[in-house]
Amino acid sequence: MDDLLKTFQISSAGMQVQGSRLRVISQNIANADSLPQDPNGKPYRRQIITFKNELDRSIGLDTVRVNKVKADMSDFGKRYEPSHPAADADGYVLTPNVSRLVEMSDMREAQRSYEANMQVIKSSRSMLMGTIELLRR
Amino acid sequence: MMEVAVLMELEKMTLFSAVKGRLSWLTQRQEVLAQNIANADTPKYKSSDLKAFDFKDILRRGESQVRMSVTDASHQPGARRRIRDFSEEVERNPYETSPNGNSVIIEEQLAKVNETHTKHQLVTQLYKKHLGMIAMAVRGSR
Repeated sequence: MDDLLKTFQISSAGMQVQGSRLRVISQNIANADSLPQDPNGKPYRRQIITFKNELDRSIGLDTVRVNKVKADMSDFGKRYEPSHPAADADGYVLTPNVSRLVEMSDMREAQRSYEANMQVIKSSRSMLMGTIELLRR
Repeated sequence: MMEVAVLMELEKMTLFSAVKGRLSWLTQRQEVLAQNIANADTPKYKSSDLKAFDFKDILRRGESQVRMSVTDASHQPGARRRIRDFSEEVERNPYETSPNGNSVIIEEQLAKVNETHTKHQLVTQLYKKHLGMIAMAVRGSR
């Protein structure tokens, strides 16, 4: 029974990191059009979140937590727009290295992992109820 | 008093000790599966599972585990990283490993969760049934 209660903690840690991941994704999508202010400026840089598993000493088990949120160092895009205040001498503006398609598929994945964790909680809960049910006689 | 005597004897009945062993196996497995699913996106994480529950586990009694005894007040009991009842093993040939080295497949894990759930239900129902039969023998059918 104690094991089942620990299951809740593990799964909620899993849900928590997927929540953080979703936050980073929404930040990326929201800034997909954040262009620089002047020709020397840089547009928004895509952020990437990574996870790691770590021993939670209070329950003696490996749970998951956010490792780092780092910048994606890939190249910025370019768009021809001579009238833009941030356009360079050739008339190009740097655009963020965010791909909406990648972000959307990432979002789906986060959602799916979140649901899987929730399913485990539901299942553990009903197992726990089954055990408690044995007391009712 | 008679009921107390019956309760004391329950542990000795094969079915009850088997149920106990099976239930702890199932709860521990659920824990391992939850760990796998929580780490479904962790790079280099390898999914693990419990070794299958077999007849030997039913026969095994709690006393088979050897522990160091404390014979002096200044002795340390020796803190270990939790004594596991059943051994865990990393899956050697995972069905699929993603490019970041993670071998958890959510569908597979959820199927196992479901299996564990169903078996848990079966075992608790068996326990109930058996207890009911004993109660009937004690009280006489009404």
